[in-house]
Amino acid sequence: MVKDRGTFDFGFFLTVMILLSFGLVMVFSASSYSALNDYNDSYYVIKRQLIWALLGLFVMFFMAGFDYRKLAYLSVPFLLISIVLLVAVLIVGTEVNGARRWLGIGGLSFQPSEVAKLAVIIYFSNSLAKKKDKVKKFFTGFVPYLLILGVIALLVIKEPHLSGAVVIVLVGLMLLFAAGAKIFHFVLMAIPAVAGLVVAVMMEPYRMRRIVSFLNPWEYKMKEGWQIIQSLYAIGSGGLFGLGLGRSRQKLLYIPEAQNDFIFSILCEELGFVGAATVIILFIILIWRGIKIAINAGDTFGSLLATGIISLIAIQVLINIAVVTSSMPVTGMPLPFFSAGGSSLVFIMMGMGIVLNISRYSKGRG
Amino acid sequence: MAAPSITIKKRIFTLLIIFITAAIALIIRTGWWQIHEGERLQKEAIEQQTRDRIISSRRGTIYDRNGKPLAVSASVDTVSVIPNEIKKAGNAEEVAAKLSEVLGMSYEEVYNKITKNSAYEFIKRKIEKKEADIIRGYNFKGVYLEEDSKRYYPYGNFASHVIGATGTDNQGLFGIEAKYDKYLKGMPGRIVAAKDALGTDMPYPYERYINAEEGTNVVLTIDEVIQHFVEKHLETAVIENKVQQGGAAIVMDPKTGDILAMAVKPDFDLNNPFEIQDAQAREELEKLTGEEFKKRYEIELGKMWRNKAVVDSYEPGSTFKIFTSAMGLEENVVKVDDVFTCRGYATVANHNIKCWRSYNPHGTQTFVEGVQNSCNPVFIDVAFRLGSDKFYRYVDAFGFMDKTGIDFDGETAGLFHKKENFNELELATAAFGQGFTVTPLQMVCAVSAVANDGLLLKPRLVKQLTDVDGNVVQTFEPEIVRQVISKETAATLRNILESVVSEGTGGNAYIKGFRVAGKTGTSEKLPRGNGKYIASFIGFAPADDPKVVCLVILDEPMGESYYGGTIAAPVVGKILDDTLRYLEVEPKFTEKELETMDVIVPELRNMEVKEAQNALKELNLKNKVEGNGNTIIDQTPKPGAKLQGQSTVILYTEGADKVENVVVPDVLGKSVLDSNRIIINAGLNIRITGSGTAIKQEPAAGTVVPPGTVVNVEFRHMDVD
Ligand SMILES: [Zn+2]
Repeated sequence: MVKDRGTFDFGFFLTVMILLSFGLVMVFSASSYSALNDYNDSYYVIKRQLIWALLGLFVMFFMAGFDYRKLAYLSVPFLLISIVLLVAVLIVGTEVNGARRWLGIGGLSFQPSEVAKLAVIIYFSNSLAKKKDKVKKFFTGFVPYLLILGVIALLVIKEPHLSGAVVIVLVGLMLLFAAGAKIFHFVLMAIPAVAGLVVAVMMEPYRMRRIVSFLNPWEYKMKEGWQIIQSLYAIGSGGLFGLGLGRSRQKLLYIPEAQNDFIFSILCEELGFVGAATVIILFIILIWRGIKIAINAGDTFGSLLATGIISLIAIQVLINIAVVTSSMPVTGMPLPFFSAGGSSLVFIMMGMGIVLNISRYSKGRG
Repeated sequence: MAAPSITIKKRIFTLLIIFITAAIALIIRTGWWQIHEGERLQKEAIEQQTRDRIISSRRGTIYDRNGKPLAVSASVDTVSVIPNEIKKAGNAEEVAAKLSEVLGMSYEEVYNKITKNSAYEFIKRKIEKKEADIIRGYNFKGVYLEEDSKRYYPYGNFASHVIGATGTDNQGLFGIEAKYDKYLKGMPGRIVAAKDALGTDMPYPYERYINAEEGTNVVLTIDEVIQHFVEKHLETAVIENKVQQGGAAIVMDPKTGDILAMAVKPDFDLNNPFEIQDAQAREELEKLTGEEFKKRYEIELGKMWRNKAVVDSYEPGSTFKIFTSAMGLEENVVKVDDVFTCRGYATVANHNIKCWRSYNPHGTQTFVEGVQNSCNPVFIDVAFRLGSDKFYRYVDAFGFMDKTGIDFDGETAGLFHKKENFNELELATAAFGQGFTVTPLQMVCAVSAVANDGLLLKPRLVKQLTDVDGNVVQTFEPEIVRQVISKETAATLRNILESVVSEGTGGNAYIKGFRVAGKTGTSEKLPRGNGKYIASFIGFAPADDPKVVCLVILDEPMGESYYGGTIAAPVVGKILDDTLRYLEVEPKFTEKELETMDVIVPELRNMEVKEAQNALKELNLKNKVEGNGNTIIDQTPKPGAKLQGQSTVILYTEGADKVENVVVPDVLGKSVLDSNRIIINAGLNIRITGSGTAIKQEPAAGTVVPPGTVVNVEFRHMDVD
């Protein structure tokens, strides 16, 4: 086995490094003013983000050298641990803004939902790779995975962390799809899901308002629409070439915590359409290289594992940009590599390390 | 391990296609916002990201016609804070303590304001430079001083109703301040600065600065000196005659239409225009609260600010006979020596209309005497000779049907009869100024037309507009309205009106050295029979070449007399006297006047008797020597005293007997001739002012004084209209 091992996909690695650096620059630009305002130190946020980035790099290189096939053995315990953590966070989690999403260990804290994302990907990849064609069976091949997703999603929703749950469910479904599950089964599952959504909206009309507010944020300027209008002001102010790096005016507290979910808007404002398109294209390259690694992976487990990790990144990027451009209902979704989220960057880098490791065993290299 | 199946690869590739399609869609979506909607969004964004700060412009000065400032703006500061910056600096307690101390506010009030959850808070407006400098010295973060201006009126209670006052935002509230607000206020400048969502200023390069444009100065036609004369004499008259509804006076230059003075009494201090001056109203206001107070306060404020001379109309009474005369003479229906007979009344359409002196009818008189006597039947006769059509046309021609067009907010026109209702009875009463109203300003303008060879002018209150450097921006030229009567008629009428003062009912307006022409007026306010009158007098001088026209109106005098000839005429006389001297109009004394001209008694003590006698003779004074010495050791009156010509100075020499003091006799109610005789016979000197009956004497009757002492006696015609 050792002799299969080649060098990792350099294009993928380079794209990751560019996105990571770009992200750090934007975090600094977006956070400096509010950090000065809140902590009297414009470097407060970037200092922490740099530490996480270094830790992330370390984890990425570690994982790039760690044989991903060994992860298969860990898949079940890892899933169980993540479920235990999801339960634990509901009991002893740190409450921030009315939500228990963070677990603290020593001086560090992390989100169990991040662990759950990777755990689901590893478990699904391993399990589905073994299942092969049996995945086409409804009760033995399809439903069990939905149940696992259901349990985890419910736990995450309980925090509450709806967008986290959405990501986990979507990644799981995509893996089921990639593994060859029947399209008919998805359609079958979609019917009760749509029905449930309709019922939920009918029970609490404000949900409907929240859902449609993105269609015309100006109609809800003072309430739901406010944040999104501020985001659009930033995006629109950027024009073609932007106001220049560091020159965003919307980050002057008009967009609260500009370094988090709305960092893409600040990027649009400072670097214009040119910058925004560049970033999206960088993500497209990352996804393309990642999927290429998945297709060329040495085994089905590696292939599904890479697909899961890349899908995880893709889902978050697409939802985040869709939200800030008012293309879908508002939901708190960080932009991978860009949003200052502390430990989440480490999990992303871990994923990148795994993909890099998979690339070393690709068929193209013999 | 086996490589992934073809199905899996196809499925994964499908995912790639989905992702890339979605990503490209989002690129397009972003581009749509940035390029298609960019301009609109950027505009809205800048609107919320910037703060417009107004730089107030200096308000223009209001000058009198000779460049004396009547309303000026001084620069002051307004203190404001950005609470967020103070919060950041973390010294709210210190800032509150220092600011409250300097500004004389309570600590709590300041502290609450500077810690308020707002973007911007005013602390105090219009603070003096001294206080502002102290605050500047503290250099607190988040505390801002912005230049502002404050209006000062150097003369306080002076032409208050004309100049008008300004409000807290330096906006004109009434008067010239309001009418010329758009010129005076200039153009405020702007600073556009970036701010964050909490309102803190940001150092960004898209800051713009637009300079403020200074206000334009307004130069009035008002002459500060004449205005002061008018205010002084009018105020005295209003107080002495217990005038209930206030008095108004206007002085106009008939040749240009310039308003030289316009006063309303009682008045108020322009530096404190919101304080109700009327004590009774103030007392009643104190009892009210809330909405009631507000309503009443506003009414009282409006009343106080009301420029009676332009806004209020009144029944002109006999002063209107000037115009009935003008029409009659112009239309040749009456000659100066036409004879009329007064039986005390005239019968019109089965009504007996009384002459004001029906208790003692004027009998047979010429037209000129009729004017001097202000005899009503004479004017009724003239009006009927004219006919209502002509009469009506002239009333219109003299400008009584329209506003004068003066540059002043709220001007009204009086109310004359409608043409279709102008019948015999209306014509008869209108002939002597009853049954309709005019404004004081209309009256002054119309009389000015008589004084100005029949040419009616538009009154002018503002002469010029000038810029900060004093350059003239705009000049308002005198405007001719129309020729109402001929030059000749005007001259004839002026002579008649002069005789009204020199020989008739206007005698109380007589002043030595100047030929005053004028007409008295007294009208009973509606409803009649309540004993409420309006006394007025309109006059001009000199009669042969009028320099000024002056009208004085006293609304509801409750003193000893309510006749215009008695209480308003002397005010006009005094105003004209002061004004003509100030304007350096050469006085022309008649022989009779020269004889009794005031002389100042010289120092005669230590002079030889002969020498002293010659000195007195030269001054047109008589002398009486007591004792038989050669040198004068004492004199009565003392040097510096004013004596009428032909008075006697008593000279004491060595060896003079102790002279007995004399008792001042009572002359009140006596005629000039009788008073003169009584006082001279008592061994005293008399100094006469006015003519008619003695109404005041000083020293009072019964006082014991040395012989030769001057007794000042004021005379008034009491038997006047
Ligand atoms: Zn008569």
